[in-house]
Amino acid sequence: MTENARGPLRRALRLRSTKIALVILAVVAFFGFAGGALAPHDPLAQDTGHLLAGPSGAHWLGTDYLGRDVLSRLMDATGRSVVGAVEAVAVAFLLGVPAGLGSVFFGRLFEWVAQRITDAVMTLPYIVFAIAVTGIIGNGQKQAMLAIGVFLAPLFFRVTRAAALTLTRAQYVEIAELLGASRWWIIRHHVWSKVFPTVAVTTAQMSAIVLLSVSSLTFLGIGVKPPAPTWGGMLASDLGFLAQQPWAPLFPALAIMLSAGMLNAIADAIRDTTGVATIPLGRSRFRRPAVTIPAQEKIIPAQEKRSHA
Amino acid sequence: MTAVEFDAPAGLTGRGAGVPLSRWAAQWGTAVLRLLRSTLFVGIPVVLIATIITYGLGALTDTNPAAQVLGETATPADIDRMNHYFGLDRPLVVQYLSWLGHALTGDLGRSYYTTLPVTDSISQALPVNLSITVLAVLIAVLLGGALGIGAALSGGGWFDRAVTLLCSAASTVPPFVIGIGLIVLFSVTVPILPSGGYVSFTEDPGQWLRFAILPAIALAVEGAVAIARQLRTSLVGELRENYVTGADVRGLTKLRVVFGHALRNAAGPAITVLGYSIPQIIGAMVVAEAVFNLPGLGKLSLDAAGKGDIPVIQGVLVTMIGLVVVSNLLVNAALLRLTPHARRQQP
Repeated sequence: MTENARGPLRRALRLRSTKIALVILAVVAFFGFAGGALAPHDPLAQDTGHLLAGPSGAHWLGTDYLGRDVLSRLMDATGRSVVGAVEAVAVAFLLGVPAGLGSVFFGRLFEWVAQRITDAVMTLPYIVFAIAVTGIIGNGQKQAMLAIGVFLAPLFFRVTRAAALTLTRAQYVEIAELLGASRWWIIRHHVWSKVFPTVAVTTAQMSAIVLLSVSSLTFLGIGVKPPAPTWGGMLASDLGFLAQQPWAPLFPALAIMLSAGMLNAIADAIRDTTGVATIPLGRSRFRRPAVTIPAQEKIIPAQEKRSHA
Repeated sequence: MTAVEFDAPAGLTGRGAGVPLSRWAAQWGTAVLRLLRSTLFVGIPVVLIATIITYGLGALTDTNPAAQVLGETATPADIDRMNHYFGLDRPLVVQYLSWLGHALTGDLGRSYYTTLPVTDSISQALPVNLSITVLAVLIAVLLGGALGIGAALSGGGWFDRAVTLLCSAASTVPPFVIGIGLIVLFSVTVPILPSGGYVSFTEDPGQWLRFAILPAIALAVEGAVAIARQLRTSLVGELRENYVTGADVRGLTKLRVVFGHALRNAAGPAITVLGYSIPQIIGAMVVAEAVFNLPGLGKLSLDAAGKGDIPVIQGVLVTMIGLVVVSNLLVNAALLRLTPHARRQQP
């Protein structure tokens, strides 16, 4: 990474909103690593004397329908939710970013195939696909996260491709090509530093999206099997006891919303300080211009150009 | 709305004055062709890719469906008989091609467990998804439209800021959490609506609405937020255009300027966003079914996934993809009808 790439990120880090978001995410990550060990109770231990109890000195956030401590379950669940999200984002990143760069720099065939696969994959309702995948190859976190990662890779692909496309006509890239630099050298030295802020914003946004998707899947019991606690799974078990504990879903829901909201805040901060595009919503294909305009023609006045056409 | 008749743009009411019939027909012809071509280019590969992946995954695992279905007491002869009955003793490519061939005629095979035709189970569950999805899209358009137009007209005022804040907050809440919140509000705190269950529309439309309204609202929020944001942005842009000033100067009421002129031009991007929201709603419906205990496609696929009932899983997946492709086609057709410049684009 060159100085070019780090500059804007450092500017984003100086914003107060980024600092607050990072601190909160650091706390979430800390609980992700150590939450299970720090929990005041065993997250699976059942206190049958206190079923569906409200907050008390012994159970700060109350107990669930089996008398399990809600705070301990919430802390223990953090790791599973965060690790799952990181796995899925890593899969999406590793598939999407190289393919996005490759589609710009490694020939028409690669470009065409990658575009068709991207269009097709984006049409799939991925929750249904994740259910299908885990139904066939077994219900585990690795399988579920692989399915989510594969089906979110097109977002990385499109963003990377859009950012890289604008650089293919940059004069310093053309000069490097004329001087005989290899594609790899150009990508490493010229392209990556410019594409990096865009990819960083996308990674933050995707992490928020994935966190919500993972909680949806664990709510359905896909990816992590009960009784191992997850935020989504806790909401699923709360659902049966809303009449007794209407406030119970608030805690796991707040954990999800806070984590996703902070990731969005970081994405906004990087975007505001670097001015990069976000995940494109439209079905645009970011086609290359069919005809490249020679550099001289740019200085011809507009009226004269119209007479040519 | 009747106010549109006054200088309505040519695109909405048909052939505008001064456009020769041949050019008008040619524009529509190429536009429709482009629509069909893009549907084929996206729809067919997505069905092929998704089904090949699910078939291939089944082959990669060493679990034998017959042994799994029949249980531990099955003799090898039983397993062979079941493998033969479902055609599982043939090479994988032959199995896939025969499945694909039958699927094209509407036959999606039989469940490993119940041996009921998958097509029957799906056609029982599909109306639940279709009716609630349509209601959710309707709510998303009305709610998103109202918030977006209101925010654009208030232009930086308190309503605009409130909508922006609401949209940011809503985008961090997954639909099923909204569903749980709605149950707490309308079934537990103020018990006026049922917390789950389903009555079909053909049986009793009034009861259907009582059961369908909460899941539909929960599903609509995400789409409404996307539509409100997009509509606000593009409408604010349109209101700065010269033709809006011109209409103002001609003395048209503000209502007519916004709804008859600016909104039509601002609607294009919002419809594109809607096109993205519909597949999300179809996908999120799976989770909403679990929250509201609805007997739809999601419940069918979850039950099948728990048992490894691969024909049912495949069937639901193909049906879902079909729904998404058809909804994309409808949205693109709407875009074509509403915005003239989408029609004039060269293919």
